[in-house]
Amino acid sequence: MASGNGSVSMMDDYETLISTTDVELLKRAWRNEKAAPEILQYETALIQRIKEQIQLAEQNVEIFESNGIGSLTVSLYQMDLDRSQFLLRSYLRIRLQKIEKYLFHILKTDDQLNRLSRQEQVFARRCTDDLGSHLDETVLSRLPDNYQSVLKQSVTSEEDDMVPAPRLDTFVVCKARQYLSGLDFEPEYSTEIAELESDLLTFACYKFIKKPFEKGMIDLV
Amino acid sequence: MYARKGYELVKDFASGEKGQLQHFNEELFNQVVDQCTQHYTELEALIRKMQEESVDVRETRNADHYGALIHHLSLIRNKRCLMAYVYNRAEIIRNLAWNVGLELLELPEEIQEKFSDSEKTYFGKHSAALQSYMADLDIDLNVDMVPPKDPYIKVRVLHDMGEGILLSDKTANLARHSMHFLKRTDAEQYIARGLMEELTG
Amino acid sequence: MANYYDIDDILVEEEFVPLVFHKAVNGVKVDESIEKSYIAQGSKLELPFWLAHELHLRQAVSISAPACFNQKTRLEIQADAACVDLRSRCLYFYKFGCKLAPLCDKTIGFLLAYAFGLRYKEVLHKAHTVAFTAASKFLSRLTKEETNLYEAAQSSMMSFKKWRMGGPRLHRAAILGRKRKVDE
Repeated sequence: MASGNGSVSMMDDYETLISTTDVELLKRAWRNEKAAPEILQYETALIQRIKEQIQLAEQNVEIFESNGIGSLTVSLYQMDLDRSQFLLRSYLRIRLQKIEKYLFHILKTDDQLNRLSRQEQVFARRCTDDLGSHLDETVLSRLPDNYQSVLKQSVTSEEDDMVPAPRLDTFVVCKARQYLSGLDFEPEYSTEIAELESDLLTFACYKFIKKPFEKGMIDLV
Repeated sequence: MYARKGYELVKDFASGEKGQLQHFNEELFNQVVDQCTQHYTELEALIRKMQEESVDVRETRNADHYGALIHHLSLIRNKRCLMAYVYNRAEIIRNLAWNVGLELLELPEEIQEKFSDSEKTYFGKHSAALQSYMADLDIDLNVDMVPPKDPYIKVRVLHDMGEGILLSDKTANLARHSMHFLKRTDAEQYIARGLMEELTG
Repeated sequence: MANYYDIDDILVEEEFVPLVFHKAVNGVKVDESIEKSYIAQGSKLELPFWLAHELHLRQAVSISAPACFNQKTRLEIQADAACVDLRSRCLYFYKFGCKLAPLCDKTIGFLLAYAFGLRYKEVLHKAHTVAFTAASKFLSRLTKEETNLYEAAQSSMMSFKKWRMGGPRLHRAAILGRKRKVDE
């Protein structure tokens, strides 16, 4: 019995250890980014660390190769490296594609813009200029003056009624990392969602779980 | 029916195979633009008539006002159709940059022909933006599009690609039908462009 | 309008709705059937939703339910929802219904939910069991929204099979269109 308990707690330690390696953290960030309808906060520190680790691993593989260490060992290292590299590339790619899609929306508010890395911000601005001038040349400049805005349908529009925005009312599959009570959710959705069991796969409307999700209490799947 | 041409333009886009580019329909596109001008002329005429009758253009809700309103709404509808046509095509063009190649010349000719001039410029500028992002981060995002399994894969060459092609770890003679064992990241772009196929088993 | 550029949304809004004008309108020929460019108060016309909706907001017209939501369709749906050919009635039956319901007839909402619930089950079932060739008759009855669901179900099943069987993972970019036979 006692030994049983011991191994359980050791397993737990092992699980926590594994789940906090940078690669695991990246996998989580990648999954979240993939499943969330809107762009999330850029993981500045994590990505920096991952990039350094990849560089180190690349150097190691090279050293192993030149030292003539068994090709099986090298290729295992190489495969591990490949997986991290795929995760990193895919993570950055998903973000760029979201930026391309919601350009005008992202550039409209600081809240959105601040979620991007410095390089992503540069990219977003360039994209907006490029797409803007393409639309301008092809369509807008050929319309009557009052209808030439890329954000407003006409000068009589009171708000920016042409800006595509992510739909926060889409459904996502998610899993709470701990038990969540009604207090963890936005009060305005209290009638929609009252609690979330820990570790239970749940199908929920993104905006209902947005608040605890942004605090890291929920993972998307 | 008002703004019918705009609808036809959008329909033209929607009738193509999903996610694939068709020829830029210049003729229909220009007709829609002309309609916009036409609506605006008629709108202005109605407003002028109201001014001549010295009714308050802002507040009055007479038959002329509703006429002007309908012209305004039709213009806006046409604008939406035009914009959606160009915008959704731009999305496909960006996907080409992601999935096929960042240089216009890397795209198959039959695809290049479908671009309008402005679209060609857009493709070039957008690719440049992507490239400078990648250079800034020192990372190539156009490889590893699917999760990797093996670092090396077996491929067969489908089109003669010439001799002494420079790959990351060797140079190779990629003659048609020849088979090679290549680094996955090297082969990926050629496969996407249909120049090679992956062999398994 | 968050879906300003949405192709489907633009197409849905081209659906016609019957309406009555509460105001007279001058200087327009919305329709070839109108001889003079004038619409008298009380005129009955059919106009596309995008126009009808804006005029309705300004209380210039009142809208009634179009034919695809008439009593006959309702009865057919109640009898056997899965068998009704909704596609020929309206390609975007659900989206159109959702837009229309608040403007003319709130009961459309119940009709949509009822029809969708029953038909969705059928769509899923067919997507996983029926061979593609046999499905064409069934597919011809589906609305655009249902077709999308059908295709999603099929493609996820295909990806699953592919994953289980293994095989090449890298492919020619789908965006380039169908593969041409390489001349031998």
